[in-house]
Order: sequence, then C-alpha cells, then structure tokens
Amino acid sequence: MGWRGKSWLLGLLLELLVVGAHAQPARAQTATQAAGPFFLTLHLAGGTGVVALGGGYRLAQQRLEPELLLGYVPRRISGSKPLAIITLKATYLPWTPELGRSSWQASPVTLGAMVNYTTGQQFFLTNNSAGNYRPGYYWWSSAVRLGLLAGTRLSYAGPCRQPTAAYAELSTNDLHLVSALTNHSLRLVDILTLGGGFKQGF
Amino acid sequence: MRSFFRTFSGRSLLPVAAALLLSGCDLLEFSPNDHRAPDSERDLTAKNLALLAQRPLPAGDTLRFVFTGDSQRFYDDAEDLVRSVNQQPGIQFMLVAGDISDFGFAREMRWINHDLRKLKVPYLTVVGNHDLVGNGRKAYEAIFGPRNYSFVYGDTKFIFVDTNGREYNFDGTAPDMTFVKRELADNSVRRHVIISHVPPQDEDFDPALSEPYAAALREDPRLVFELNGHRHAFSIGEVFGDGVTYINSSSFESRQYVVLTVWGDKQFCLKQVTF
Repeated sequence: MGWRGKSWLLGLLLELLVVGAHAQPARAQTATQAAGPFFLTLHLAGGTGVVALGGGYRLAQQRLEPELLLGYVPRRISGSKPLAIITLKATYLPWTPELGRSSWQASPVTLGAMVNYTTGQQFFLTNNSAGNYRPGYYWWSSAVRLGLLAGTRLSYAGPCRQPTAAYAELSTNDLHLVSALTNHSLRLVDILTLGGGFKQGF
Repeated sequence: MRSFFRTFSGRSLLPVAAALLLSGCDLLEFSPNDHRAPDSERDLTAKNLALLAQRPLPAGDTLRFVFTGDSQRFYDDAEDLVRSVNQQPGIQFMLVAGDISDFGFAREMRWINHDLRKLKVPYLTVVGNHDLVGNGRKAYEAIFGPRNYSFVYGDTKFIFVDTNGREYNFDGTAPDMTFVKRELADNSVRRHVIISHVPPQDEDFDPALSEPYAAALREDPRLVFELNGHRHAFSIGEVFGDGVTYINSSSFESRQYVVLTVWGDKQFCLKQVTF
C-alpha cells in the first residue's frame, strides 16, 4: 500500500502552524493558565455522522482526551431511517508547543482511536444475535466499527477564557483497513476519511 | 520557533492543498454505511445495459460472454481479471454472480467498479449475500440497480434473481417466485438464462423455496442453464438430475473465469480461462 497520503497530513498541519504563527505576532500575554478538565465537542464528518455532538474530560496533564459523541446520519445518506452513531473516542496530544508568546497553541500531531456503534435494524452486533446465521458466518460486526486517526489542532486560550480548539483529522476504520492491507492496489487515500471540529473547554 | 516556520514557503503547500481538494469528495465520509455514490457511479446496471444496446446482437448470431463471480475484496485480482478478459475475442459482456462487496459498503462496490469499468465490454451483476449486509441493500440498489431484473440480448433473455434467502431470514421472499415464474413464462424469445448468487442446493437458499425454484426451471423448455456464484469454485452439472444444467462460477481470487458460447436452441460450449 502506498503511504503517500502522509505528505498531505504533513501539509495540513504545516498550514495550520503557519497560519497560527503569523496570526498573533508577539503578543505579550501567555496562555498558560490551567485549562478546565471538561470540554464540549462539535465534530463534523469523519465516519461518525454528518455532525456529532459530545464532550469529554482531559487526563494525563491534558494530553489525553477521552470523549463521547452522538452523531447523526440523515435519511438522505442512510437511504432508509436516520441513523445515530455513538462514538467513544480518545485523542492523544504528544506535543503542544505555544506559538511564540501568543495565546495560540498548536498540536502538530494528534493520534487517536475510537469505537462506535451505529443504530438501525439492518446492523448486527454479531451475526449470532441477528437472523438465521451459524456462529461466525460473518466474522465482523456491522454495527460496531473500530477506528484509528491522526490529525492536527490549533487552540486559542485568552487570559480569561477557556481554550477553544479547532482540529482536523484523517481516520480509517477496521474494515477499510482490512481491505487495504489485503490489496496492494488500494492506496492509503482510498481508505481515509476527513473529519474535524471544535472543542470548547469549560 | 517562528524562524522554523518561515523556512516553509507557501508554494510548497500548493500541491498538498490541490491533492486534498481533488480527492475531497471521497475523503468526506459521513458514515461507512453511506449508500450514495457520485452520479457517474450510480445506476450502473442501467448504464451497462444502455452500452450493450449500442452493440446489438442480430438474432441467430452466436452469443458469447464471460461468467465470473464473488469479486469481494479481491481488488488486486480484479485488475488482472480485467486485463485477461480484455484479451478475449468476440465476447459481448461479462456477468458477475454477486458478492461484489465483502462488507456491504458502497465504497467497496465503487472500488470494484473502478476496476471493472476498464473492461472493453459492459458488465452486469446480480446481488450477493455480502452485498446485503448492513446497509448493503441500499448501496447495491443505488450503485447497481434492482435486485431482480432481466434483459433481452439477441434472442436470449437473461434473468437476474436475488436468491440470498438467509439474508431475509428465510421469509419466503427470496427468490421472488412470482418474478421468476413471470420471466420464465416469456415465450417471445428463443432462450432463457437465469443467474443468481446462492445456488438452490445451498444451505443459504431458502429451504422452502428450493424445490419450487428448481421445478420452475425444470419446466422451462427455453432454459439453457442456471448460473450461480457463492461457492468460490467452478462446477458444472445437473445438480438435481432433472436435465437443468447449473454452472457455478469461480471467485476473483481463484483467478479463473469461464467464457460461455451459446448457439442454436440450447447448445453451448464452455471454456475455462486461468489468469
């Protein structure tokens, strides 16, 4: 599989860094005040619904962000009844430098994993619990997806305000990954999904 | 740190941004179960039939087509199959006996189409059980078309039937026997060929409908043969010993397909091709 897609991710994060670096020239204040542990999330696309709302709690010196999202898939996309996608996601921020002496912070690389459940009668948790199959007839769950993601983030925290973060991430899911790992002809970009959103601390 | 950023020229980001924009539509996946596809990758059955109609076969001419099945997640093999089929002389179309996808995702059906659209001839599919998993039924109907349909080419009627009874919990709706009987009763053409994914002797065929289905085929004087997939292995024979020939296709990863040539009332010959 060609991993040329990595250069895009690099480009995306560089773009955010450059924008961030030039947007706030030499501000005297710093944004080092302690951020609140809770945050709310508005997430768009990324395989977890057109839009997903949720929130989470920051752990491990604010480097780990577990969160719960509730996503919405309208009828136009499902082709039948609207679907809900419930996602449990954890994002790890290994490095979050301040950009100069500004109120901006960047996390050039974020890494994460998620598991989600899609509602709808057409999806089975395991095929043993649905229909008339022998155990293991379908080895996967059509309702539950596991995902991996890599992204980038820019956040702003004023002296008297909680941080607001904008992020973008590329993700894939377990079944797309199985397809790509068993076929040289599928490229990384074929299995990637773009998502992004905002997190507001409180 | 800021001097570090200054070393990057804005121009170096342009190709990256362009690449992201060009593939942006595919990158935006709201759910892997999204059943939709771009216009050019929708209603492929109707589009391939329109292509076939542009190359009509005069009545009485020999019919020749490629028969294969179960492309599910064998994308590398699909590329090689296309290269091989494109070297077959005198073929008019290709039939795929279902399981286009593995997980029932629209993305998978489109990946297979990205390979099969490079064929020099149109291709037609019948729905397989894997194409019905999860939201697969909606995806198959959007990307390919109806699960039961037929068309006439030359003087042969091809009848495509959803026989994936287990996916409907054996509720008596698959195969749709009303559709099957109506299509087999058409005496305006010289021959019939019926194609479905699960063969009637298989445990995944609705057990209550296996005998009625076989009987309907047995009673059709125009039926040349019945074509199936699902078993990932080539076979040919009279499964019920009743004069009806059943041909099961190889799957894509078996790297084999057959070329079927049909003439006269019910005469045919079969050539196995390995690629």
